[in-house]
Amino acid sequence: MTEPLLSVRGLTIDLPPGSDRPHAVENIDFDLHANEILCLVGESGSGKSLTAAAVMGLLPQPSVKPSAGELTFEGRNLLSLSEGEWRQLRGRRLGMIFQEPMTALNPVMRVSDQILEVLQAHGEAGGMGRVMELLNAVNLPDPERLRAAYPHHLSGGQRQRVMIAMALALRPTILIADEPTTALDVTTQAQILALIRQLQSERQMGVLFITHDFGVVAEIADKVAVMQHGRIVELGSKHQVLEAPRHEYTKRLIAAVPTLDPPDRRPLDRAPTVLSVKGLGKTYKTAGGLFRPKRIVDAAKNVTLSIRKGETLGLVGESGSGKTTVGRCIIRLIDSDKGRIDFHGVDLNAFKGSALKPYRKRVQMIFQDPFASLNPRHKVGDIIAAGPIAFGTPPADAMKRAQDLLQLVDLDPVVVDRYPHEFSGGQRQRIGIARALALQPELLIADEPVSALDVSVQAQVLDLLADIKRRLNLSMLFITHDLRVAAQVCDRVAVMYQGEIVEQGSTAELFRHPTHPYTRKLLDAIPGKHWRTRAHA
Amino acid sequence: MRDFWQRYRRNKGAVVGLGLLIFVVLVAIAAPIIFPASPWEMAGAPFQRPFGEYPLGTDMLGRNVLSGIVHGARVSLMVGIISTIVAVALGLTFGALAGYFGGIVDDALMRFTEFFQTIPSFVFAIVLVAIFRPTIYSIVAAIAVVSWPPVARLVRGEFLSLRRREFVQAAVVIGESHLKIILTQILPNALSPVIVMASLMIASAILLESALSFLGLGDPNMMSWGYMIGASRSVIRNAWWMSTFPGIAILVTVLALNLVGEGLSDAMNPRLARKGRA
Repeated sequence: MTEPLLSVRGLTIDLPPGSDRPHAVENIDFDLHANEILCLVGESGSGKSLTAAAVMGLLPQPSVKPSAGELTFEGRNLLSLSEGEWRQLRGRRLGMIFQEPMTALNPVMRVSDQILEVLQAHGEAGGMGRVMELLNAVNLPDPERLRAAYPHHLSGGQRQRVMIAMALALRPTILIADEPTTALDVTTQAQILALIRQLQSERQMGVLFITHDFGVVAEIADKVAVMQHGRIVELGSKHQVLEAPRHEYTKRLIAAVPTLDPPDRRPLDRAPTVLSVKGLGKTYKTAGGLFRPKRIVDAAKNVTLSIRKGETLGLVGESGSGKTTVGRCIIRLIDSDKGRIDFHGVDLNAFKGSALKPYRKRVQMIFQDPFASLNPRHKVGDIIAAGPIAFGTPPADAMKRAQDLLQLVDLDPVVVDRYPHEFSGGQRQRIGIARALALQPELLIADEPVSALDVSVQAQVLDLLADIKRRLNLSMLFITHDLRVAAQVCDRVAVMYQGEIVEQGSTAELFRHPTHPYTRKLLDAIPGKHWRTRAHA
Repeated sequence: MRDFWQRYRRNKGAVVGLGLLIFVVLVAIAAPIIFPASPWEMAGAPFQRPFGEYPLGTDMLGRNVLSGIVHGARVSLMVGIISTIVAVALGLTFGALAGYFGGIVDDALMRFTEFFQTIPSFVFAIVLVAIFRPTIYSIVAAIAVVSWPPVARLVRGEFLSLRRREFVQAAVVIGESHLKIILTQILPNALSPVIVMASLMIASAILLESALSFLGLGDPNMMSWGYMIGASRSVIRNAWWMSTFPGIAILVTVLALNLVGEGLSDAMNPRLARKGRA
């Protein structure tokens, strides 16, 4: 075996005193070889990003600092380098790409100038010609036009390509990618993963790839290191870790990844229709200024869907497809411009303001971000009881009901007196679910309810939702970008693309025989789609 | 609450400021006990130098300067606090309505606010006091009227951003009324920058009142620091103490309020605090 490019031995990184554990990373060992992609995977707080930061010398010192171990790269221990030596190394020998390309790029500088700056800062010759070459190498369309573009002119995927071009400008031997595709849509993600793969093998680089997504791991990794609480619990080839995990934690994580095989579902053709949306349209207009033309965006065009009692309809699509707009129109957080929203045969669009109140009780919503959806200054009990109190339930009764609901979502009823910040993301999402259930709704609108959660927590919350839905015979509109989740949760799926529903059908049918080209493209782009399909289910 | 005090205490200047402020407040409360006689009354011979019979000397009518300062603290603090309360109440109402409802309501209220902001505040205050005769009420009202627009703009900004938060949307979805959402969901989250601003506004209100009194637009029945400085400006070359000590009183009070304001700001936004300060 050849000498590794980077060798990490016994690395320990201290956290500031008073943190929930003494070390962010504890005594980890791994090697990164040339022409190899090593995936560091773990849930939030596992220390994977700090490990990457340590390799780049970007730890937020002095509050977080490495206290033991060695990082050997080209015969030198990186931990003993001075800031000046680090600068020589960064960019030239070690390239890095970040999760959010919008914040990593300077918004007021042309992208071509930003790449040029990287070259000039390291005294590299080539100038604009080399920049064009790099833009070509990352498959950006029309590099000539991009020369004059600012970051906000580009899409998320294009920005990430620019970041990759910058990271590769000086031909580093190691590329560190910290969740580079997490902020991207699934089809864009597939393209970026393919690009990283291609560049990696062309240049024989070693890539340290940080991710939380096992689908991405299955797509891109050669070797996998699984991290938990700052330790590497399992390290092995992709095949070994994904197909025959040894450590309990790895097994648990992998089992929590939803499979793409929709389970068989009982048909609901006879159940009465709860919600029927016909020809729903919503157009956003931004007023033009003196020098700005008016902008008109059709967020939803002629959307027609229906949900039967006890049924879960999945609304899937990429960001900007209008799926959230449709959800918010139905719950009347925003007013739609066209169409009918018939709830038990009554058009909700005919009501406004307080006339809507009787329906508020019957249609409820679960929000995406468990940190933003609970008022930080209200106690958990008050949050859950607020709905019933608004509908005239005496506060004492509402509070008793809140305790019952906490039990229903598997939380200890004594937490009614605590504030939301004392809970983890998954627990907060349970509180959010309890709040939605407090009014005993018939229809739940769940807007990406698990996309902010770690995969193992995600599985628990999905189980809870499925269980509650069955017990209370609820109907649900489940909005998600994650087709794996949709496959597991939904009876039927509607695919949205640019404000329109392009395909709608039973989950099993749609996943097996997609008819619309966009649906096929979406299904093809799912990372790790060949992993854990029928054979493993 | 204990956490809050812990964070506040980290800013040493703010602790000193709080100490000074408490001292000024105690003096103001205890004024009739320390100097039972009216500060307007002659106490001794005029033009007595300080550190003699009277610690801070006497003025041209033989009134005790220290007694004036102690009683003036009552007027200054009262004007500062009451006018700030009125201004904050106005600003909260306008800002909250504009930020919460947006659209036409926002446009109408903000144009109305800008109408007040276009007039330089001190000139506006002079005009108001001159029109309504200088009494303590008209002074408080004038200061409140000229100082609410910044509060309204601040509150509006907070409401605009909080309005879009998911927890507010959740409150809409569970059927809470607009009033309840404004008061219980958004307002508590928007309050901390307002409290910080209010503490600084008390300081500027005290300065405004002093400036009005200096120009002779103070309440003629109220001994205030600004009045003392204004009255003694003609004799400043042969009786420096008459204007200097009230000036120091203003300086100390305003400085204390600013320090407290900064400490409150640090304590309420712990993540922003301590940056650039070691």
